[in-house]
Amino acid sequence: MYIKGVGMTKFGIQEAATSHLVYEATLEALNDADMFMSNIDAIVVSSIEIMSNGERQKHSGSVISSLFHIKAPILSIPAGCAGGGTILWTANRLQKTSNYRNILVIGFEKMISNTSKKLTDEILMGGERIYEQSEGLIFPAQNALVAQQYMLKYGATTDDFALVAYKNHQNAFLNPKARFYKKEVTLKQIKNSPVVASPLRLFDCSLSVNGAAAAILTNDRTDIEIAGSSLFVDRLSTFESEDMTTWDATRLAAEEAYKQAGISPADIDIAEIHDAFTPVELISYEDLGFCKKGEGKEMIRKGITNIDGKMPVNTSGGLKAKGHPISATGVSQIYEIVKQMRNECGERQIEKPEYGLALNIGGVGSTATVHILKNLN
Amino acid sequence: MIIRWVCEKCSKKWIYPIEKCVYCKGNITKQKGTKIKVVGITKVTIQSPMHPIVPYNILLLQDEFSNRLPKKTMKDYKIGDVYAEQKAKTKDAVSVVKTKYDVYEAIKESVDILNGIKLSSDDKILIKPSIITAAYPYQAVNTNPDFLNALLTVLFELGVKKENVIVAEQALIGSDTVDAASKSGILEICKKNGVEFADISKGPFEGVESDEFKFRIFKEALNRKVINVPIMKTNFQLGISGAMENLSRLADEKTQREMYFDSIDVTLPQLAKLLPDVFTIADATNGMQGQGPLALGEPAFLNLILASRSPANLDAVFCEVTMLKAPSYIKEIKNIELVGNEIDALKYPIKQPVSDATPHSDIKVIDGKACPACLNLMNNLTAKLVGLRGEQLNLVIGSMLTEDMFEGKERLVALGECAIKKLGESKIKPIAKIDENIDDVEQLMLLKKLLVTEGTPKITPVDKVKSKMKKLLSKVIG
Repeated sequence: MYIKGVGMTKFGIQEAATSHLVYEATLEALNDADMFMSNIDAIVVSSIEIMSNGERQKHSGSVISSLFHIKAPILSIPAGCAGGGTILWTANRLQKTSNYRNILVIGFEKMISNTSKKLTDEILMGGERIYEQSEGLIFPAQNALVAQQYMLKYGATTDDFALVAYKNHQNAFLNPKARFYKKEVTLKQIKNSPVVASPLRLFDCSLSVNGAAAAILTNDRTDIEIAGSSLFVDRLSTFESEDMTTWDATRLAAEEAYKQAGISPADIDIAEIHDAFTPVELISYEDLGFCKKGEGKEMIRKGITNIDGKMPVNTSGGLKAKGHPISATGVSQIYEIVKQMRNECGERQIEKPEYGLALNIGGVGSTATVHILKNLN
Repeated sequence: MIIRWVCEKCSKKWIYPIEKCVYCKGNITKQKGTKIKVVGITKVTIQSPMHPIVPYNILLLQDEFSNRLPKKTMKDYKIGDVYAEQKAKTKDAVSVVKTKYDVYEAIKESVDILNGIKLSSDDKILIKPSIITAAYPYQAVNTNPDFLNALLTVLFELGVKKENVIVAEQALIGSDTVDAASKSGILEICKKNGVEFADISKGPFEGVESDEFKFRIFKEALNRKVINVPIMKTNFQLGISGAMENLSRLADEKTQREMYFDSIDVTLPQLAKLLPDVFTIADATNGMQGQGPLALGEPAFLNLILASRSPANLDAVFCEVTMLKAPSYIKEIKNIELVGNEIDALKYPIKQPVSDATPHSDIKVIDGKACPACLNLMNNLTAKLVGLRGEQLNLVIGSMLTEDMFEGKERLVALGECAIKKLGESKIKPIAKIDENIDDVEQLMLLKKLLVTEGTPKITPVDKVKSKMKKLLSKVIG
């Protein structure tokens, strides 16, 4: 399977209706693919259909049909923060088992249009209702407990987390689609930001934003091949895991994707990693096999994952600084890798990558999708 | 305690209760960890609607089987600290336990940390659930049948004999008790467990006096140990229907009316004094918020069980946890010992009842402790006019009306026999009277006219004909 075109809105606090965000991202993907809506055979969408944004709009599939005047199979698959990766995986499988030549995938979310308390509460619903929600285990707190275990086990420090945030903010500074585009953030600011859930500070947390991202998958050979596509779902709560510092869903998804692509972690030239919270990026380096367990901190300390490093990670700015519009995130990761492979990233362009990897995670290691793209040019 | 459901054959563990292993169909047993240590801590500094008080700590607890669980607390701990539930030191302490997925275990725990109910196998017991009207369990109007079932299991395990237990209740005045018990699912649980269900309204009652107020109390309640099992609800008139209010239906109908006429805040504690051996275990797993059970209240998922030997203390803790306005019989919360959970770690505001609100924003109510029939009438009539704007009306209901209740209030409409009579005896003149006994379509027509028309419109003969036609039409077309 191949990628024909990609599109995304700027991630930010724009007031456009959700339907318009979808339209904007899709139009860019169609233009990028040099296609029309009439060329699309099926659509797979993802959104958690946030209630607090005031739109009161459910039934996404039919909204998409109205928006694009299309009568076709439209699947709507919410999968929390892994929605984007999940629809890519679904479309990829669907294409292999059907006669749909071109499938459009769209992830979208309008999160910012109410108080942060209401949004926090709504996002909290992604946690286990009895053991987590009623104990006040908001997502920063869930990740804080994981971070603490990771620090205790492997000697990582909050300075390591700060380096992840700093790197991703530097990258977002160069990305016009990022929420923090041209907004300078210093290491000192990061380290002095208020504690949200100890040991995590404000700048360890990703940004809730509005946005949409789209991609067109095709059977026709293009410049970008989907060499690996995998999805694994694990337990809902991290406290259920024997080892909270290794996320099995990520590990299994990575293993399968490498196998499909016929490559090893060492072959990856660029990665977009689900840095919903800074420690997750370090844990993911390890679960993806970029380094041994406990050595994630060394990768960030040595600058290996910096934009000029041996294996740049989150050149887009990541969820941390580009922004994290839940279901749009996974597709936006693909957008970044495609643009890097096509040498279209301007100031943040890295040396032309051959293999790129996108890790999209839902919950705290609950759902993981890994996509490996191969640059055929 | 940390609980896991474990397969006896393949040892797989679940955080949710299951009956059979889905891999090997093996039997499931509960693994209960009691030696608990703190293995992680985070201090949260940002508010969310269910957790408004910050900062708070979340502990990551781990038991002797390496099972883990998060736990919110306002106290500071260190990694490595032992975590243990403290037991009550005072007789009137209140326990608050989270239900999680196992009501039975939560009931056991809530009783255990109060140092047990202290029952012997010969004790005769009266369980007093809350069954006020015919409603399904999901509506959270009546005590949940699963809650009663779990409580009966706990009691039988303590050695209580089935034949020594009765479950007794009477529905609100005007509702049929057996119908209500049947729809609520309580009757079925009684049958399943082989215990008798008694309709309190059928008596016999015994006259007893407390602080010069004469009560007629269900005789069995005076001769048995009472286990009070309310469902915790908001209440339009009292603020809260909880442990104290549930006891009121141990009295006969006449006494109940007199308790309201004589100020329920005063008579409830007087009644409680007559029942010194009451143990309350309250169902707040799915309680009620808003205007209460008779006034369009809605279920509130609270996930809690409260227990105490003092029903007033229990109500006090519930009001504090849910941030409800406390009735005057409630003493200061600082004087109450709490075990199981900390108040500040549980606190979040549920929807408060508003004492002068009706479903219609332009119609307010002045409530003189109206009976359930007039409350229902008020709610039904005003709900049907929602969306129709007009000049503000004040519906007057009940008979416990005092002049100060009318200060600054205009366009008064007396609704129901009690209010009509009471206003008739006073200098206060309503612009209209709506008799509870006239045709319901006429009642609605009159209220609609009053809302949308200035002055004092009345029901005309033409309206009466229209009303009859409407009734006939609705019968024909069903």
